[in-house]
Amino acid sequence: MSPTQEFLIKDEKVYSGALSCRGCAWSLLARHLSSILGDNTVYVVPACCFSIISGPYPLNGLKGNIVHTVFAGASATATGVRAALDRQGKADTTVVVLAGDGGTFDIGLQALSGAAARGENILYVVNNNGAYMNTGIQTSTATPYGAVTTTNPGGGYKRTWPKDLMGIIAAHNLPYAATCSLAYLDDLRRKVRKAADTRGFRLLMVDGPCPPGHKTDPALSISIARLAVETKLFPLFEIERQRYTLNYIPDKEVPVTECLKYQGRFKHLFNEENGYILEEIQEHADHYWRQLQTKAELSWNGKEKEKT
Amino acid sequence: MLEEIKSTSLAGEDKLPKYRDHEERILKGNYAAAEAARLCRVGFIPAYPITPQTTIVERLSEMVANGELDATYINMDSEHSVFAAAMGAALGGERVFTATAGQGLFYAHEVLQAISHFRLPMVVCNVGRPSIPWNIWSDQSDSLSQRDTGWIQYYGESAQEVLDTIIQSYMLSEKLNIPVMAVLDAFYQSHTSENIWVPSQKLVDAFLPPRKAGAMHIDLEHPKAFGGLVPPEHYYKFSYNAWKDARKVEALSTEIAARFARYFGRQYSNVEAVNIGPHTRLVLVTVSTITTTARGVVRNYPDVGLLKLRLFRPFPKTGVLEALRALPDDAVLANVERNFLGDAEGAIQQEMKRALFGARNLRMLDFYAGVGGKDVPPETIEKIIYQAKNDPRDISWADVD
Repeated sequence: MSPTQEFLIKDEKVYSGALSCRGCAWSLLARHLSSILGDNTVYVVPACCFSIISGPYPLNGLKGNIVHTVFAGASATATGVRAALDRQGKADTTVVVLAGDGGTFDIGLQALSGAAARGENILYVVNNNGAYMNTGIQTSTATPYGAVTTTNPGGGYKRTWPKDLMGIIAAHNLPYAATCSLAYLDDLRRKVRKAADTRGFRLLMVDGPCPPGHKTDPALSISIARLAVETKLFPLFEIERQRYTLNYIPDKEVPVTECLKYQGRFKHLFNEENGYILEEIQEHADHYWRQLQTKAELSWNGKEKEKT
Repeated sequence: MLEEIKSTSLAGEDKLPKYRDHEERILKGNYAAAEAARLCRVGFIPAYPITPQTTIVERLSEMVANGELDATYINMDSEHSVFAAAMGAALGGERVFTATAGQGLFYAHEVLQAISHFRLPMVVCNVGRPSIPWNIWSDQSDSLSQRDTGWIQYYGESAQEVLDTIIQSYMLSEKLNIPVMAVLDAFYQSHTSENIWVPSQKLVDAFLPPRKAGAMHIDLEHPKAFGGLVPPEHYYKFSYNAWKDARKVEALSTEIAARFARYFGRQYSNVEAVNIGPHTRLVLVTVSTITTTARGVVRNYPDVGLLKLRLFRPFPKTGVLEALRALPDDAVLANVERNFLGDAEGAIQQEMKRALFGARNLRMLDFYAGVGGKDVPPETIEKIIYQAKNDPRDISWADVD
């Protein structure tokens, strides 16, 4: 089978009529995830865009059970669901959390850390679109430095760096964590499969295009996601028990501005007086990439990692 | 079958009552609660420590570790997560138990609402203590502030009552799909040893069947969405159904208590009237351990009665009116409050007024006593009686005003 066919969804597990905005990551992500995870899956969803996208009562957008739960408690609710299924001999049922960045980086971080540290057999998927988009684009700790949201008193854009969630998660010594992009579907689908086949707490962070929140053209969602990877703003990597693997190394150096320029939330950075912010973002991206490279080199003691 | 296993009270003149198929043990209230959870064969226990509840989850951990109890026990990261996990496991069909107190209950408030709105059965013990500034002593402000979360609430007078109430609570909770909070008093109950009759597993199994899957149950063969956005044209239906079932609680609680008495030999009622009749001039209204102190005091006052509230939510209006039926209209009620909720009147007087409105026009006096664990010895009860008779004021703080 040629790679171009591997990301075609053959067994659709999502009903038509999703309530997402045009160009949203959630619907495409849910389709790919559910097509790989199959029927024997229970989804746990805290407050996030997907709570709405999956349909209001009495609808269910997924062909699987969805437990909508409290904002801060997705990982804890999933822990309870997991325990119940295990007690009933259903250890092969996959329990998946589908959360946004607010429910992961901010209000849900404690429960996430607890479940990760306990090694709960849960797959956690965070669609990181870099703000509280469901409530109308408020700053989260995932919001990129320099981005405009509706809650940035002062300069009108965020002046602090986003949390390094993958670093925090890596510190929990998980069996598997990875970043994924909808622009690299073969990589995404491989990681979903790998995560599904791994026991213990697993986390996938997906770069989530959000046209209303990022002020982008919906038609460019995937192109911009691709540029985020090419510019190293959103590197693709895996972490297995604190061992890093870089999954995609861009052929050529593409400046971060190539990705930022398509996003209205960064428009003000292109004013002459804000040029230094673009430089800071470039420097931050370069430094993060060098850190990943170093971690990847150290991770496998110079030996090439076994092909997955 | 029922007759064969029923226990009989063998009370003698000066002997403790003995019950068939029971073991007599000396247990602290917290351990009695843990025994009850074990006997109810709970399957899932999410745990987080908080004084003075901690010895409940410690004892349960020990039971799971040594094989006395086949349950999944998970150390959670907070009470919010404890209740969120409880919700998940209850949706998964498990019988769930946990315990908390004070700040823990306050922290879990959001999830208490979700659990009752999801119509999930479970039983949780709360060992009452007030909010910060730090205080770990007996106070019911925590659980009483959660009285409007849709949970059923029982307040236990003794450790025996807590154990027996937890067993009854699982039956009530699983029949109505409404969660139950069984409340203990900190230290006076939680850490005080009492003679307890612990029923045999056989007896409890005969009384309490395993939990059956209800409508709110994750069924892998028939997937559905639980708790998604419910628009106005549907939301009220859930509330309407919850309201209808909440109204069944008082009668069903009585029915279950009667059934419990047939199996276990111990009688409980939602409210208990002591010395309430045409001769009674004053009735003390109490919950939990203050009741025991008041029982002793009112023996010396032929014209003073006692009304104990065991079921608090939904408030047992029918039972209260029945208990006060013989009380003359010029008698006085003195509500004894071990809570402060920020209003002029405490929770008990608020509820008593609501229950009696339009039915009885009795004068009510509100007495704050024992807030923040302040001791309520017999002398305080006597002061309340003295003041109620000689210097009746609408609201006062016993030992303070």
